[in-house]
Amino acid sequence: MTTIYLVDDHELFLSGVRAELSERFEVCGWSTDVDAAVDGIRKERPDVVLVDVHMPGGGGLSVVANVQQTNPDIRFLALSVSDAPEDVIAMIRAGSRGYVTKSIEPDALADAIERVAIGDAVFSPKLAGFVLDAFSDTVPVEADPDLDRLTPREREVLRQIARGYAYKQVANRLSISVKTVETHVSAVLRKLQLSNRHELARWATERRIV
Amino acid sequence: MATDDESTPSESTERFQVLRGHLTRSTHDRIVAGLAGGIAARFGVPTVYVRAAFVALTLAGGFGILCYLAGWLTVPDEQQYGSMIIADRPPTTPQQVGLGLGFLALLIILDTVGLWFGPIVWPATLFIFGAALVWDRSSAESRDRMSQFAKPSGDGASRSRAQIIVGVALMAVGIVVVFASLDSFQQLGPVAIAVLITAAGFMLLFGPWILGLFEDLTEERRARIRSEERADMAAHLHDSVLQTLALIQRSDDPQRMTTLARAQERDLRAWLFEPTGATNGGTVGEAVKVAAAKVETDFDVPVEVVVVGDRPLDNTTEPLVASAAEAMANAAEHSGARTVSVYVECSEDAAEVWVTDQGSGFDPDDVPEQRRGISQSIIARMTRSGGEASVISKPGEGTEIHLRSESL
Repeated sequence: MTTIYLVDDHELFLSGVRAELSERFEVCGWSTDVDAAVDGIRKERPDVVLVDVHMPGGGGLSVVANVQQTNPDIRFLALSVSDAPEDVIAMIRAGSRGYVTKSIEPDALADAIERVAIGDAVFSPKLAGFVLDAFSDTVPVEADPDLDRLTPREREVLRQIARGYAYKQVANRLSISVKTVETHVSAVLRKLQLSNRHELARWATERRIV
Repeated sequence: MATDDESTPSESTERFQVLRGHLTRSTHDRIVAGLAGGIAARFGVPTVYVRAAFVALTLAGGFGILCYLAGWLTVPDEQQYGSMIIADRPPTTPQQVGLGLGFLALLIILDTVGLWFGPIVWPATLFIFGAALVWDRSSAESRDRMSQFAKPSGDGASRSRAQIIVGVALMAVGIVVVFASLDSFQQLGPVAIAVLITAAGFMLLFGPWILGLFEDLTEERRARIRSEERADMAAHLHDSVLQTLALIQRSDDPQRMTTLARAQERDLRAWLFEPTGATNGGTVGEAVKVAAAKVETDFDVPVEVVVVGDRPLDNTTEPLVASAAEAMANAAEHSGARTVSVYVECSEDAAEVWVTDQGSGFDPDDVPEQRRGISQSIIARMTRSGGEASVISKPGEGTEIHLRSESL
């Protein structure tokens, strides 16, 4: 069974998620603040950490950054009420493998956790929209074609996700396998994490689309 | 003179030993190398006096600079040494007088030896120490002002007034003596010197006070902005969030509660994250969001909107938004889907909207009369405005409506 660790400073929300997920996952621990979370995660070594973005003491960002230094194999899924672009992009670039909002349905959340556990990326429609917007057609001056541009296929996959389709439906609609969809999404995640095109940063501050 | 010559060397050698053994250069209280800061900390006197002493010694044929350089070379850095050497208590009055006399003796010796820049040194020294007195007091006062727990004591206030008066008097004597002796070195340009000295005196006198005033003003303005923001936030929360919470408590229909909560959430998000002054409904993306909000409230079904790129509303995009609104309402009312997804993409040559639901779907060739009506009215509207629309649906597999209008 996949082991998960929960980090959220809202006790009420924490206990709700714990109840929802305890059937499908082994919840090996939870914390309500950054320091305890870093210690707990290092000790429990869960498969997936579900981490809130906004917390006192550095927030989810510092949890991800700290744990990644010592345990790069632990995977993170960011869960937040905020879908402000700067939060989303910051969490992804810190090393989180996905970003979902707290309004997500319990089943969809469980699916997302499974996906992160096997090393795939989880893109919500909003995150897909952000990425399409940030990697718009305008090519930066110092383009690194491997990192600064999306392939037409990746773009198409993201469009489908932005329209609200699940990976399986995207695969059906584009007549490709689910595995291929996952490969494309993981490639986009890598670009998002490694690309240094300044549009990414500028875009996140300029467009505060919610 | 002879007695001075006897006493001073022994005193200064003794002091020198102490210095060599227990002196460090300060790393936090430094202008050049931290020597003055280190000496001040070692003897428990304000740094400004040590700096004044170095400046005065420099007038004595550059002796101060030599001393400083020697100190820089021989005295270890605070970090090198491990920790700062500081006096365990401030010097007593006799000790202060002793330090002052020692310094005076040193100056006299230098004068006798001939390391001297001329008659300006004595008045300049007076002026420098007067300034140091004033500066020390004013900066101590502004330090006290900064710490809100400092109690204004009558004793301290009168002492500081006395100190400032003595300081200003010393400066004034210095300036007067300089002016009086101006005749003897007119080649230096007396007016320029007078202006310089007056300006410097003014700055030293009022500098710390003006600085403090400026800091107070900035702090006050910042506090005012903060409190205005808080009032703004409170008013907004009261108007909207508290009202909604009250409504939710009075409602017993879960669907209605969800809708109220979502509407409030959207409103709050817009208020928190949208840039102020964003055109409300002036662009395709904004207009679609407004339409989606209306559908959510009317049909109690969440509508997720994702916008990529944006463009202003015009003759071609207005029908696009109207059609999208109709498609959203249609999906929310008939599909039975839990959510409706809307994706808006604006590029150089076209604006496109996809309205998708994962609901019941239908067979476009065999539809109930009222649904055909809706999808046909959408298609007709788009075609009229030069755009296009397509409806893809299968029973049990949801519906996708694609709207597209080319840029003119």
